[in-house]
Amino acid sequence: MVVLVFLYAPIAVVVANSFNSDASLTSWGGMTLDWYKSAIESERVRTAAATSLEIAALSTLISLAIAVTAGLWSRTASRRKRQLLDAGTYMRIILPEVVAALALFLLFRRIGLELGVWAVVAGHVVFNSAYATIIIQARLQTLPLVYEEAAADLGARPRRVFRRVTLPLLAPAVAVAALLAFTFSLDDVITSLFLSGGNAETIPILLFGMARFHITPELNAIGAVVMMVTTLSFALTVVLGTLGLRTRAPTPAEKAEL
Amino acid sequence: MLIGPTAAWTLLFFLVPLGIMVVYSFGQRDVVTFKLYWGWTVQNYVDIVDSLYLNSIVRSLLLSLTATGLCLVIGFPVAYYISRQSRRRQNLLLLAIMVPFWTSFLVRTYAWVNLLANQGLLQRLGEKLGVVSGALDILYTPTAIGIGLVYSYLPLMVFPLYVALERIDPALPEAARDLGARRHRAFLRVTLPLAMPGVIAGCIIVGIPATGEYVVPAILGGGKTLMYGNVVASQFFEVGNYPFGAALAVSLMTLMTVVLLLSRRSTARLEEVV
Repeated sequence: MVVLVFLYAPIAVVVANSFNSDASLTSWGGMTLDWYKSAIESERVRTAAATSLEIAALSTLISLAIAVTAGLWSRTASRRKRQLLDAGTYMRIILPEVVAALALFLLFRRIGLELGVWAVVAGHVVFNSAYATIIIQARLQTLPLVYEEAAADLGARPRRVFRRVTLPLLAPAVAVAALLAFTFSLDDVITSLFLSGGNAETIPILLFGMARFHITPELNAIGAVVMMVTTLSFALTVVLGTLGLRTRAPTPAEKAEL
Repeated sequence: MLIGPTAAWTLLFFLVPLGIMVVYSFGQRDVVTFKLYWGWTVQNYVDIVDSLYLNSIVRSLLLSLTATGLCLVIGFPVAYYISRQSRRRQNLLLLAIMVPFWTSFLVRTYAWVNLLANQGLLQRLGEKLGVVSGALDILYTPTAIGIGLVYSYLPLMVFPLYVALERIDPALPEAARDLGARRHRAFLRVTLPLAMPGVIAGCIIVGIPATGEYVVPAILGGGKTLMYGNVVASQFFEVGNYPFGAALAVSLMTLMTVVLLLSRRSTARLEEVV
C-alpha cells in the first residue's frame, strides 16, 4: 500500500545514498564504500560511538534495577500504592522530553553538578526505567507466586528464591526491557544534547549537528549503520519477546535442586 | 524497601527538577546584569501572551494539531484495513509498520531533507510525472515539518486504532446491516463510535509528544520555523532567560495535563455506554 512505501522510502534513500560516490545528495555517481571508510576512520565518530555505548549500557543497567525492584514491590503493594507507581511511570513517558530534559538541566545547574555522561545517564534512566517497569510488570502479572512459594516452603531463603526462581522466570522480560532501554538510549537526541554540556558527544548529537549545519555524505553512511543497529536491536527484542515470554514450568529436577 | 530506587530516582531526577522549573517560572532574569531575582511574579506568564513568541507558539500548536489530524486521517483506514485481515497477515502488516519505527528516529527525519530538497527526489519525481515545474521549496517550511511529524508518528497512531478496531465484535456492524442500514451508515453509527476510545488514545499518544517536538522542527525547519519545543529550548540555551523559558515549559505541561484529563473523562464516559 501507498502508506508502506511512504514509510520505507526515506530509509531506502539514506541507505542508497550512503553508497553514492557523488557527494551531492541528489545525483547518483556510482557505488562506493568511501563514506563508510572515512566515517570509521574519523576519531570523532569513534569517540562518539564509544560514548553512546557507554551511556546506553549504564542507563540500561540502572533502569533495569529500578524496574525490577518496582515490579516486585508492586506485586504485594496495596491498590492505591500501585496506582501511585503507575502514575509516576506514565508521567515519565508522557511528559515531552524537552521539558524533562530542561528541568534536569536546571537541577544540575542549581546544584552545581557537572553536565556530562552521568547527567545524560540520569536523564535517560528517567524514561528508560519507566518503559522497563511496564514490561517487567506485565511479565510479573503472568507469573503465579506459586513457584516462589514452593521454593520458600522447601526451605530456601528469600534471596535464594529470588536468584533461582524469580530471576530466571523474569529473564525474557528483563532481556526485552534491556534491549529496549539500550536502543532508546542509543537513539536519544534531546536529553543527550541538553545534558552533555559539550563534554559527552554521542552519535545522535553528532548526527544532529551534521544534519543541521554541515551535511556531509558520511552522514548517510553513519546513518545507515545506526539504522541497522537499532533495527537489529528491536528485531531481537521482538524475537526474544515472542520466544521467551511463554512461561516455562520448572522441571522436577530444578525444583528438587532448591 | 523495594520501591526505594524507583521512588528516589523519580523524586530526585524527575519531580524535583520539575518543581525547580515551576519555581524558576516565577522568578525574573535581569536582561542587563543577568542576575536572577527570586520574586513571586507572574510576569513571565503575562509575557508569553505579550511576546513575539505568541505567534510562533500558536502556529506550532496548530501545526501539531494538523499533524495529529493527518495521522488520524491516514492512520484510520490503515488500521481498519489491517483489522479486517487474517490473523497472520495482521501480524505481518503490523510488523511492517513497526520496522521503520525501529530505525533511528533521527536518521529517518534527516532522510526527508534528502527527499524534500529542491534538487531532491520528490522534486525530480514530480517533474517526471509532469506535476511540478519550478522549485518545490518545501524544505525548511512548516509543510516540511508537518510531513516529518506525520511520518514519525503515524505508526503510533495506527496501533491504538488497530487495537480498538480489532476489539469490536464484527457481529455488531453486521447486525446493523441486517437491520437495513447501508454499509457506510453501519460504519458511521456503529463501528466509528465503538472505536472512539482508540481514536482518543491515538490522538493523545501522537498529539502530546508532537506538541513538544524538538528534533523534527530543528532539522526540517532549518531554524526558520520554530515550534514550541524549540522556543523553550532556545530560551534556555541561547537567550539565557531561564525564568521565561520555565514559564513556557510549565504552560506546556499545564496544557497537556488539561488535555489528558479531558481525554480520560471522555474515554470513561464512552466506555460507560459500551
